[in-house]
Formats: sequence, structure tokens, C-alpha cells
Amino acid sequence: MATRKLPPALPQFSHIGRFWDREHHCFSAKLLPGEYYVTTTGEQIATVLGSCVSACVRDRRTGIGGMNHFMLPQDASRGTSVWGAAVSAATRYGYVAMERLINDILKLGSSRDHLEVKLVGGGKVLGASAIDVGARNIEFVRRYVSDEGFIVAGEDLGDVHARKVQYSPSTGRLRVKKLKAVRNDTLYERERSYLEGLEKQPVDNDIELF
Amino acid sequence: MTRLIMTVDDSASMREMVRATLTAAGYEVVEAVDGQEALDYARDNPCDLVISDVNMPRMDGITLVHELRNLPHYRLTPLLLLTTESSAEKKLEGKRAGATGWIVKPFNPEQLLATMARVL
Repeated sequence: MATRKLPPALPQFSHIGRFWDREHHCFSAKLLPGEYYVTTTGEQIATVLGSCVSACVRDRRTGIGGMNHFMLPQDASRGTSVWGAAVSAATRYGYVAMERLINDILKLGSSRDHLEVKLVGGGKVLGASAIDVGARNIEFVRRYVSDEGFIVAGEDLGDVHARKVQYSPSTGRLRVKKLKAVRNDTLYERERSYLEGLEKQPVDNDIELF
Repeated sequence: MTRLIMTVDDSASMREMVRATLTAAGYEVVEAVDGQEALDYARDNPCDLVISDVNMPRMDGITLVHELRNLPHYRLTPLLLLTTESSAEKKLEGKRAGATGWIVKPFNPEQLLATMARVL
């Protein structure tokens, strides 16, 4: 019987939950809203997305890569577009979610030219009455990858369903299962409390003058 | 006279965000995509202030600060590092290289401008 030894996580990801995926015979990291994970050891990364989006990013040559899971906080003062003339707080938050993931991959010896990006999520999951937060997240992430000059190798965005997502950076394979019926409200509660947490976060900078 | 600020970042969206914030406040902005390009420009062109990312290809922001401090016309120029890095070790490296200050992303435009006004 093959041994199942949990490969060491990179130090900054030691808090991320991981489990053995019996179906695909590999270890899988499970992301909650606001988390991201980068792996060098052929692990899979899994999450469930409602209106949140995930960017899946990997180096095509080395198979080192990762995935994030985020949404933009509401930004009532700036109107509906996330890319107004002024740089909104929501946009800056999304930018950091993307940059953390990309920087951690670049630090492992990659370069921007070799990165392959796939985008997933942003469902309009809360019905016609709710604001379409998924659409804002999609608008942001599409604009970001286009401004950065990344080539999108695949995307599954929008629609009205939640998604179960599994990404393997070593092969670039992204499996998406649309959840036609969500058994309970855990997913939506989790996204809602993540969003509320974002709105309560102080917008003050960490600034230090030497 | 309009102050000239150099923004150094390998991310096009970040350069655009800093440019939008600074030009709206009346500054003139020049962009560089990494530390090497910034240093090449700086050799012949004094700026009033530099805002640089830390993690970049070819030359990182801390090396850039160190190199700029070796140029006579940058010895007293305020050099701010703007980065997602927030560890005490990295900050100390930046301080030792000669940085004026450290700002963790995401930046708040009003606070960035206030910090610049303090050091200019």
C-alpha cells in the first residue's frame, strides 16, 4: 500500500487545512473565504465558491502554483463600477488578494511570463433580490489579469450556481462541479460573515517611518 | 514647481493605482517596472521621492534603496517601500538599506499622500 505522508506545507500556509482526497489519490488543501495556498509538491487545492472568485495560477514549466478565494468588500461610496476614476478601497483589497498569491509563486523562482491563469466563481447565488456581488468580483478579476498582461487559459465565471472547485497546479487541471442545489446555508453564511468581516476591517495603513 | 515622484512596481495595476492617486494630488509621476529600470533612470534623473515595491524581478526594492543611496543626488531623497511584506525582519532590512519608510499594501490614498507630505 502506498504511503500517505503529508508533504510539508510552505511555512506561511501551515494554518491551512489539508486532507487526503481518496477519489484523486492526492493530498488536498481546503480554502475558506479569504485564504490562499501555494504548493510545490503536487497537491490539489479545493474550495467551494458562491459569489466569491478564485484565481488559479501556476508556472507552466515547473508546475508550482496556487489558488486564492476572495471577494471585494462593498464600496457604496464609489458607485457600481469597481474601476472608477478613483481607486476604491474594494479594488485595493482585491489587488492585494491577487498580489499575495502571485508574489509567493514568483518567490519560488517563477517569472510573470511563465504564469498560466484560470478564473472561476462569481455566481449570482442569492437570487434576483440580492445585489449581484458575483458580477463585481468577476469585473475586478478579469480587469486585473488583463491589466497585468496575463493570458487566461480557462475560465468558468458567473451563472447562478455555487461551485465545488479542485485545482492541481502541477498539471493545471481545474475541475468544477456546479452545485444545482446547495443542501444547507453553510456556504452562504460563510461568505456573508467573510464579507461582514471585511467591512469591519480598519482601512488604516500600516505605515512606519524610520 | 511640480514635484517628480518615481513609482517602481512590476505590477501594472499597482503602478496605475499609485499614478492615479498621485496625479490627482498634483504630482508628476514617472514609472519603472523593476529596480534595475528605476536605477538606470535615477542615475541621470533626480526625483523628489521614490515609492518602490519590494519583491520584483531583476532588482528588488531593498537593493534599489541601497543602490540609490550610493548616488550623490539620491542621498537625501525620501525613499518609501510599498509592499505586501510586513515582517519585522524585512522592515529592518529596508531600514538598514536606507529606506525612509515602510507602507504595507493595500495603501489608503489619503494616508499615502499624508506620509509623502511629511517626508518631502
